[in-house]
Amino acid sequence: MNRLRYFIQRTLFSMRQNPLLCSATIGTVAIALMLLAFFTLIVLNIQNLTREWSQDIQVVVYLDQVPSEQKLQQWIDEIQQYPDIERVNYVSQQQAFDRFHARLGQNADLLEGLMPEILPASLEISLSESARSRKGTESLIDLLKSNSDFHDFRYGQEWLDRYDAFMFLLKLIGIMAGGFLIFATLFIISNTIKLTIYARRDELEIMGLIGATPMFIKTPFMAEGALQGAIGAGIALAGCHVLYYFFLKNGLAALLTTTSIESIKFLSIEYQAGIILIGLLLGFTGSLLPLRKFVRL
Amino acid sequence: MIQLCNVGKIYPNGAPALHNISLKIPSGDFVYVTGSSGAGKSTLLRLLYCAEKPSRGQILMGGRNTTRLNSRNVALLRRDIGFVFQDFKLLHNRSVFENVALPLQVQGTNKQEISSRVYQVLQYVGLEYKLQRKPLELSGGEQQRVAIARAMVVNPRLLLADEPTGNLDQALAVEIMEMFNLINKSGTTVLIASHDQEMLQRFPHRSIVLHDGNITHDSMPPEPEQQDNI
Repeated sequence: MNRLRYFIQRTLFSMRQNPLLCSATIGTVAIALMLLAFFTLIVLNIQNLTREWSQDIQVVVYLDQVPSEQKLQQWIDEIQQYPDIERVNYVSQQQAFDRFHARLGQNADLLEGLMPEILPASLEISLSESARSRKGTESLIDLLKSNSDFHDFRYGQEWLDRYDAFMFLLKLIGIMAGGFLIFATLFIISNTIKLTIYARRDELEIMGLIGATPMFIKTPFMAEGALQGAIGAGIALAGCHVLYYFFLKNGLAALLTTTSIESIKFLSIEYQAGIILIGLLLGFTGSLLPLRKFVRL
Repeated sequence: MIQLCNVGKIYPNGAPALHNISLKIPSGDFVYVTGSSGAGKSTLLRLLYCAEKPSRGQILMGGRNTTRLNSRNVALLRRDIGFVFQDFKLLHNRSVFENVALPLQVQGTNKQEISSRVYQVLQYVGLEYKLQRKPLELSGGEQQRVAIARAMVVNPRLLLADEPTGNLDQALAVEIMEMFNLINKSGTTVLIASHDQEMLQRFPHRSIVLHDGNITHDSMPPEPEQQDNI
């Protein structure tokens, strides 16, 4: 209990006593994490948008003949047994005709005199989110082919290839840029904390001489690093929030060519907690690395 | 209590600091380690408080071989040793009280006991009325007394001092040496590295002379009768 009180007192006292060094560390963490939060915000919003796009990924099975109600229900039940199926929707010839009519807009009069029977009825099969890829779609088609009544499929092959490539690129950029940002942040924070520890190397030496164990010497520094990291992360989130409201919301909406500003969202509470945790861990690890060098009994 | 067997120290840059040092210092002794600058006095002290490991040989302190201690046990060993340095090594951002209390806080002593022991030891060195001052507000002699108080607050079995009077004028140096004598009389082994010959003569004790890393002389002080004859 005495030690815990000592560690808390030392941590707070040291931050109060070295306001410049403390501010430098918090400022560094705040700027570095603001970049990270900003980047995460953009990636997550792009992901959200592509998730909306991916809802269009579906397999359409065109039917040669209009099935009886019983047959149709049997097919739907069969398809719903397949893995990764989200929804099966029957589009009758009339519904297909109405859609086509609506799509033609002012040119709809081209359809005048034609009957809905010119268009085939179809089954629109939506995949669950995890299977919305070329691979998932092809697996479904393989299963559908086992039913001899199904032989005409459409699933937007080119669009799927482009979607897969885009998602791969997005993930790659996310991992590379995110990883780079985290390492750069750790490097900057570690160096800033190294400076603060270097400025207090006499204290480390004296503590060692009077019989403090390495853990006793390191704990207040690590607690200080973690606290500064968490405060810095809090400031980063606040800064990111301000940027989001004043610039990012409109900017991202324009960038992602979405008309609805409401679809551009700030980081969820889980991500915000994650950024605070990253700040805390970066501060902690950032102190630990130079301490290993300076605290040697 | 302290035993060195064939101890040698060569620094990583290849510079030899000590050669084949063997000596015994019984508990309760008062010993000077003396010699010119670069003779190896400070290295010998650094080996004793495990700031350096010997390149060869063994060091036994209180029956423990200090060359084989891990960092936690080094810390525990140092709790039995008091340190006094020429540059005092005080924390300037903490008060006299906080500086002296530090070794007790490290050992997890409770707050009340810390207060009472720090006050007692500050009374002992005559600084109880300056306990809220910061070290830089004190004179050199007073700062050294704070360092002595910090060393004494844990009742160490061994007191190591590296040129403790090097930064002080004659009168203050005498005052500090008298304090070391008192500490020694209370049973603490005292080992002082110093090249201040005047102090060595004024306060005669066993004296180990180092030259280029070798012991060239290990002499006991003259008996009181002999001193009178001189």
